[in-house]
Amino acid sequence: MANVILRTAEPKDVPDILRLIKELAKFEEMEEKVMLTEKDLLEDGFGDHPFYHCLVSEVPKEQSSEGYSVIGFAMYYFTYDPWIGKLLYLEDFYVMQEFRGLGIGSQILKALSETAVKTRCSGMHFIVAENNKESIEFYKRRGAADLSSREGWRLFEIGKEGLHICKRKD
Amino acid sequence: MFTFFCTSFCCPGISCCAIFRKNDDIHLHMCPFGNFSCVRLELQRDGFCQNPFFECLVAEIPEELKSKEGFTVVGYALYFYTYSTWKGRSLYLEDLYVMPEFRGNGIGKGLLCKVAEVFKQCVRLQLSVLNWNTPSRDFYAAKGGQDLTVSEGWHFVRFDGQNLDNLANDAPKI
Repeated sequence: MANVILRTAEPKDVPDILRLIKELAKFEEMEEKVMLTEKDLLEDGFGDHPFYHCLVSEVPKEQSSEGYSVIGFAMYYFTYDPWIGKLLYLEDFYVMQEFRGLGIGSQILKALSETAVKTRCSGMHFIVAENNKESIEFYKRRGAADLSSREGWRLFEIGKEGLHICKRKD
Repeated sequence: MFTFFCTSFCCPGISCCAIFRKNDDIHLHMCPFGNFSCVRLELQRDGFCQNPFFECLVAEIPEELKSKEGFTVVGYALYFYTYSTWKGRSLYLEDLYVMPEFRGNGIGKGLLCKVAEVFKQCVRLQLSVLNWNTPSRDFYAAKGGQDLTVSEGWHFVRFDGQNLDNLANDAPKI
């Protein structure tokens, strides 16, 4: 496909970004968990201190069966490891079903890698569900290391209710 | 029990020295996996620029209770903001550390609670713990932490070094 453009997201892309976030969540059977609104995305991504950055893939409208021109996105931000410094964290990465297998995902990953190198990040990292074999193979083919398997890292999450212990007096 | 207070960095030089020293302790403790190339100057630059890449709380004790080496900064919590595409602004606790001789006094819990105050505007607090670090896993589990690697199968994946460079060299023009 000759006419795919990869570019930095702009405020006008927010409705498409939210649409793709919901599509990805639906694929993961978690659509009802998406609480973000367009207003949140606009404020959080395009204000004075953005919480995230975004790339979008775009095709001419007539090439998309549903008339959308933005057909993929990648959301990322910068994290920090006190041992090795800045890192680029890839939070979400999605290409619409009908546009897969065309190298768009690879292009996005390469663009993010270039961003990571240019902004002096020591690495690019993210999480993948262990049952998502296709994604795992995609990343491993390109040299990714599974740190959970190799080094034993486990992801923990504490919700607001979990930190209620801080309200108790000792 | 002695009292302590948490303060965000007010003396970057001193606090960065403290973090650097703590990281050295952690590095020695976790030697097989350490890749310790971040130095004090980088911590100072990255934590105190206009848009800092991390924030940090330190636990400081009164002078009369200082450690045998003479340190009054005895613990820290380093965290940064992340983003959930489902729910928005989030927090990631990168490091939480208390010097061994000061453990068991509630300092770790105190640091975590201070981070929880920052967390009020965020929807989730995440962190990572190594398999073998049972005391830490128990500490976070007791405070409501869920091991998502076990319960949902999430794995950390990383590109670095030559693999990252290879991808970058092949990037399209944006």
